[in-house]
Amino acid sequence: MTALRAWLSDPNPASRRQARLGQAWLAWQRIQRNRLAMAGLIIVAILLLVAAFAPLIAPHDPLTQDLTRRLLPPGTPGNLLGTDDFGRDILSRIIYGARITLYIIALVAVTAPVLGLLIGTVAGYFGGWIDAILMRVTDIFLAFPRLILALALVAVLGPGIENAVLAIALTAWPPYARVARAETLTVRSSDYIAAIRLQGAGAPRIIAGHVVPMCLPSVIIRVTLDMAGVILIAAGLGFLGLGVLPPTPEWGLMISSGRKYLFEQWWVATMPGLAIFIVSLGFNLLGDGLRDVLDPRSASR
Amino acid sequence: MTLIEIENLTVTFRSKGREVRAVEGVSLSVGARESYGLVGESGSGKSTILRAICGMAPVTGGTIRIGGQPLPTPRGRAFSTEVQMVFQDPYASLHPRHTIDRTLSEPLAIHGMPDRDARVVQALTDVGLPPAFRFRYPHQLSGGQRQRVAIARALMLRPKILLLDEPTSALDASVQAEVLNLLNRLRAEQGLTFLMVSHDLAVIDHMCDRIMVLQHGRTVEEIHREDLAGARMTTAYARSLFDASADRMLGGTTETAP
Amino acid sequence: MSLLEVRNLRVTFDTETGLVQAVRGVSFSLGHERLGIVGESGSGKTMTGRAVLRLIRPPGRIEADAMTFDGQDILHASEREMRALRGKRIGMVMQDPKYSLNPVMTVGRQLTEGLRLRDGLGRADATAKAIAALEAVQIRDPGRVMDAYPHELSGGMGQRVMIAMMLIPEPELLIADEPTSALDVTVQAEVLSILDRLVRDRGMGLIFISHDLRLVARFCDRVLVMHKGLVVEEIAASRLLDAKHPYTKGLLNCLPRIGGPRGPLPVLDRAGI
Repeated sequence: MTALRAWLSDPNPASRRQARLGQAWLAWQRIQRNRLAMAGLIIVAILLLVAAFAPLIAPHDPLTQDLTRRLLPPGTPGNLLGTDDFGRDILSRIIYGARITLYIIALVAVTAPVLGLLIGTVAGYFGGWIDAILMRVTDIFLAFPRLILALALVAVLGPGIENAVLAIALTAWPPYARVARAETLTVRSSDYIAAIRLQGAGAPRIIAGHVVPMCLPSVIIRVTLDMAGVILIAAGLGFLGLGVLPPTPEWGLMISSGRKYLFEQWWVATMPGLAIFIVSLGFNLLGDGLRDVLDPRSASR
Repeated sequence: MTLIEIENLTVTFRSKGREVRAVEGVSLSVGARESYGLVGESGSGKSTILRAICGMAPVTGGTIRIGGQPLPTPRGRAFSTEVQMVFQDPYASLHPRHTIDRTLSEPLAIHGMPDRDARVVQALTDVGLPPAFRFRYPHQLSGGQRQRVAIARALMLRPKILLLDEPTSALDASVQAEVLNLLNRLRAEQGLTFLMVSHDLAVIDHMCDRIMVLQHGRTVEEIHREDLAGARMTTAYARSLFDASADRMLGGTTETAP
Repeated sequence: MSLLEVRNLRVTFDTETGLVQAVRGVSFSLGHERLGIVGESGSGKTMTGRAVLRLIRPPGRIEADAMTFDGQDILHASEREMRALRGKRIGMVMQDPKYSLNPVMTVGRQLTEGLRLRDGLGRADATAKAIAALEAVQIRDPGRVMDAYPHELSGGMGQRVMIAMMLIPEPELLIADEPTSALDVTVQAEVLSILDRLVRDRGMGLIFISHDLRLVARFCDRVLVMHKGLVVEEIAASRLLDAKHPYTKGLLNCLPRIGGPRGPLPVLDRAGI
């Protein structure tokens, strides 16, 4: 362990890989010092574990109905968080729901930021009419309320988890494009870009190898902070019956179905609500911590 | 043999409908293996001339020829192997998220050159840095070490001409001496031609054979090193620069010291 | 009696990587004279200047055996007492006027604000005094400068305004931290001669902090050479060329000179210091 630590913190790394891992190790050490970020990281890690091992953790099948045991309160033996209106175990449904949530988050996280980053850096780097066109398109997307646009898309494409993700991704990219463009504008005029241009590098190489790494931290921070919003929109679509279809255990859908019993059997809607709250909080805390760790302005110190 | 020929160069920046002439009708010629200095105060257009050569400033008049050939626009890859530049601020001219290795090997990758590993190690040794620094990041280096890396990068493609834009003005005096010595050694070893910009007359005098004094984008006076040392300048502005030069202040104290 | 007395000043920063000592025991006393503090980046010269005004922010810490200004203990003075000293009795000029002047207020307003609030002067009196201060730093049309915003001034002009602003309350001590480094050489000379004349005429004490040994030598009576948080040499400016310490000598020799020899410049031997 100490040998590994020494290897990682060696001021004179012997290979590319060691240099990169050493930097990652430093970042990890910085994030470890930030308690709230660690709390966020632990929440996100728990979400990952729960989703991965759902069949092992869940006490019941999330889809099995038992009408004799419907709407049992939390604390009932065998149903820790109670049961819903079909007698399904809420805890098991939340555990399986983590998979759906994670699936949506993962799909959105690999599509929207990539699209936004591409559009933003290209617009910022080239400037002129390319910038004008790309940014006006971005403005048009930004001008629509996000949930309404997602609703319209789902209404056209039909409900379902893939369509919900597509709708969220299509409404989520413009802020990333804006962030990336703003970073690109400051990076573009820097001496190190002038230097690589002088070495004969073409635009694709400069954008991919030199501009994107500088934009990446702010986009990653933004993505992490946005994840809470993505979960909420997915839940909102589920709640309105436009996202995931029943009986799939999705948190938003579960709240929606618990709405009818909100006053007498409050736990049916509250438990998935708590799950959304905790996971959103986790991503927000992590995002805040990442900002301290990844922000180039603080990293240079 | 003349290597750099600039004739009647004019650079005009346009912003918000206003035109600013940063350089106006400047002509100069630099022979191969010569070291030529541009000196002036802020706003004199001295750095703009270097940027115009690199195609990074809007040339609105005049011609620039390298080795007798007018420069193409955009400058293209052949230009990179002829002319390179060292920037003023070593903190801003190295990519903060690239290792020294990547910074130095990228020009080789762009031009498809072989033996990258060996060349990077050689380049580090040439500028007096230990090869162990190869995988460090810029923030793990001091200002002087960064400027050495920037010089190494500029020389990766074996250019004939090095444009030096205030290469030591962001450095401490003791580090400045080391970097100036390094530049002089490299010039001798690699047969380089320097076109150097500085606000410090003493630095320019130490480095260059011929010096052009600029003010408000125009040539004030072109002067030889010997004439400068003998204070034989013909214009009042060049003389006022000479009189205000910091190294004269110390000379003043020497004379009055008992 | 000395104006400022500093004994064994230490400035420590508590960072992630442990304690960093920026100043490691600096002592000096200053009368009504011009004291230069010279050093390279990281020598602690700026921190020394700021510590005198207690302008070090946490995680930085100031410690000293004693620090007195005109007989008053400024090491243990309350923040309120320090505020009464700063600007009024001890002025400070920083390197770049761009960051020291408020960009959304006219120069005139910034100059007169203190006079009107602190000294309770009327508008006309304050304006007259501000114009006089601008004239003292050889600004030719003070009326125009009074109405200008900081971005409308050149670097040299801005620095003169800063000096004027510092001089209005007629401080007994002026701390100038690289006041001319951002300026062109010809402007630099002018600003220095203005500063020089003011110090002479008004009998102020001056601490002139700079990286440029030559500048300090011409301009000051006495020079402290700092290296890595310590004073390595204290010497009369006129005798600088007889400096004994290898670091001072190295700093002097490594500078190129017009008409000097063409060979490699002597390099500072860092191992020997």
